[in-house]
Amino acid sequence: MGLESQLGDNIFTTTIDKFVNWGRKNSLWPMPFGTACCAIEMMATLASKFDLSRFGAEAIRFSPRQSDLLIVSGRISIKMMPVLKKIYDQMPDPKWVISMGACASTGGVFDTYTLVQGVDGFIPVDIYLPGCPPRPEDLIDAVIQIQRIVEQESISPRRQPGAIAS
Amino acid sequence: MHTDSNRVPGEPMTLNFGPQHPATHGTLRIVVELDGETVLKATPHLGYLHTGFEKLGEHQDYNQFIVVTDRMNYLSPLSNNFGYVLAVEKLLDIRVPERCEYIRVILAELSRIADHMVWLGMGALDLGAFTVMLYGFEEREKLYSIFEKVTGARLTTSYTRVGGLMRDIYDGFEEDVRAFLNSFPKALKEVHALLTRNRIWMDRTKGVGAVSAEDAIDYGFTGPCLRASGVDWDLRKTEPYSSYEDFDFDVPVGANGDAYDRYLVRMEEMIQSGRIVQQALDNLPDGPINVDDYKISLPTKEDAYGNIEGLIHHFKIIMDGHGVQPPAGEVYSATESPNGELGFYIVSDGSGKAYRIRIRPPSFIHFQAVPHMIEGGMVSDIVAVLGSLNIIAGELDR
Amino acid sequence: MSEEHEETTEAQQPLVIQKVQEQYPDAILEISDARGELTITVRKDGIYELMEFLKNDSELTYNFLADVTAVDYSLMEDALMKYDYARFVVVYHLLSTEKKERLRVKVPVHEKELSIPSMTSIWKVANWLEREAYDMFGITFENHPDLRRILMPDDYEGYPLRKDYPLRGRGERETFNFEEQNV
Repeated sequence: MGLESQLGDNIFTTTIDKFVNWGRKNSLWPMPFGTACCAIEMMATLASKFDLSRFGAEAIRFSPRQSDLLIVSGRISIKMMPVLKKIYDQMPDPKWVISMGACASTGGVFDTYTLVQGVDGFIPVDIYLPGCPPRPEDLIDAVIQIQRIVEQESISPRRQPGAIAS
Repeated sequence: MHTDSNRVPGEPMTLNFGPQHPATHGTLRIVVELDGETVLKATPHLGYLHTGFEKLGEHQDYNQFIVVTDRMNYLSPLSNNFGYVLAVEKLLDIRVPERCEYIRVILAELSRIADHMVWLGMGALDLGAFTVMLYGFEEREKLYSIFEKVTGARLTTSYTRVGGLMRDIYDGFEEDVRAFLNSFPKALKEVHALLTRNRIWMDRTKGVGAVSAEDAIDYGFTGPCLRASGVDWDLRKTEPYSSYEDFDFDVPVGANGDAYDRYLVRMEEMIQSGRIVQQALDNLPDGPINVDDYKISLPTKEDAYGNIEGLIHHFKIIMDGHGVQPPAGEVYSATESPNGELGFYIVSDGSGKAYRIRIRPPSFIHFQAVPHMIEGGMVSDIVAVLGSLNIIAGELDR
Repeated sequence: MSEEHEETTEAQQPLVIQKVQEQYPDAILEISDARGELTITVRKDGIYELMEFLKNDSELTYNFLADVTAVDYSLMEDALMKYDYARFVVVYHLLSTEKKERLRVKVPVHEKELSIPSMTSIWKVANWLEREAYDMFGITFENHPDLRRILMPDDYEGYPLRKDYPLRGRGERETFNFEEQNV
């Protein structure tokens, strides 16, 4: 917008950072990439008892183009991985990724011919959430951790598009 | 709804419905060819969650595989645990103590309710009824706290063991379950008030995805989907297992085999499951929960710590390469899981690991009929049909 | 659960065995009734007609095909010997909803001619079940309307449930082409 150049003052820029981050962290729009068991716990997190909206992250968007938090919940097979990658690429920056559960993070108990052993080989992951599946409280904690990461970031481009991936 | 006046002339259009699509569950994918809003052709694609369960079963001992069955139909893990150990017990030709059978029945029926609650919530959510999902999950959370107290986990329960259970139920289990049995019919009543005579719900589901009784059998339907088509078939009645013959319950049967009937059948099944649980609690026998055979069940803590034989038995069941060793042979055992006939076909070579484990997944077989059910219908019917079938990707792809 | 493990004797043969032996005298290779599960092992020749008979005969009415799968017996020596060194056995689980009876039909298939007639025109449910057996074992089902891989990606090589296929695959998890998939 050219605002920064007129101001020319570091202190003011960090204030914008703070202001924008405050907005970002309290209105995360998750893209639920739910494939298996963890997706059920993710649904439970969103439903009445645990209610993720208390943390501003209830606006589930099934379209990657409208969301900034990718929650990979469930086993990712080699047939699914290209889909996940495409969805990650379609999300606009800035974006964050939670790898929910043991399967998404490491393959979990399924060390078999068809499962990707951890999505972090293909997309960058911000928070690894252990558990099989993690409890809803764990997912809420992961969202809070993401909020902490968001808090500390700058509004300048976070990652170069295309610099990530395999 | 499907009259010719709705049709818009023009080139057919191909729509890629899934695998990650706002209107599908999990990882389902259907490529549909559309003429306006009418579905001309539908081709399902699957395997996006293929995990290799059957291969894994050949590399794990019989008790280890229970953990894998949790992750198959993750709406009702206890039913899977139950179905699997029954197959192994049939292979071993043993019958567990009655108390164990009753506890298994109670938990299987509770997990049927839990399964149907999620199905109800997600199916209704797909058709725009958001409130129902919140009601469904509220009841489900109550069940989850019971499951957690019994098994130690909310979802991945791994509660059964070959020849028994991981542990007995806790003190106060009965009160907790009875409290739930009192509360959940009220929630169902509210859902009935919200949906059953609701104009929109009826328009979206009545006559949608109808399957005749002959087609249902030809397509291998089982469970609520088969019963909605008017076939009175429930394995708990026709091939009673695990003391189901002791309980008095009705099998709801539909007439039209459409999405609305599948909804009604499942709603009634929850009530009937409640009846079974009630009876099982009333008559819950005392006694041991594991078979009295240390070649199959773990010895008690006192035995394992107190004498050398107990320790050896413990060691033999736990150590790799030993474990439960059924005689060579093969067995097919089917149970009435919430989705239908969940079958396990196990081939044993006499060692501690299965030579082959085949899982007959009801979801896989129901999903096959989706083109038959949606071709000629409207594109919005796809969502209603998928919702009514309760396709679980973990069980579909295994 | 049944107590009888020994094979049934001639005198007490179930109706289905009698009828099949009458209709197709050479078809049955082996009959077993272990654990109360009636199993017949039959020749591959004429299997389609036999299955059609089992479904349509008014006294048998096996109208429901519960499952189709296969077993790779290459590591089980005694089973191999029993089936004349046929590596694969295709297993059908039939059910009669009218008589509430189940029947298992096993068909040994040699690796040299790895094919068997498709049952899709008898039971519609056979379609995907046979596709899965093809996907996992590489058994071809003749006259199948749409024999493609079903669970594994189209360009996948190897048949995962064969005994010579390793549990962790042959490196597909790393080398699989994740870029050029049609998604």
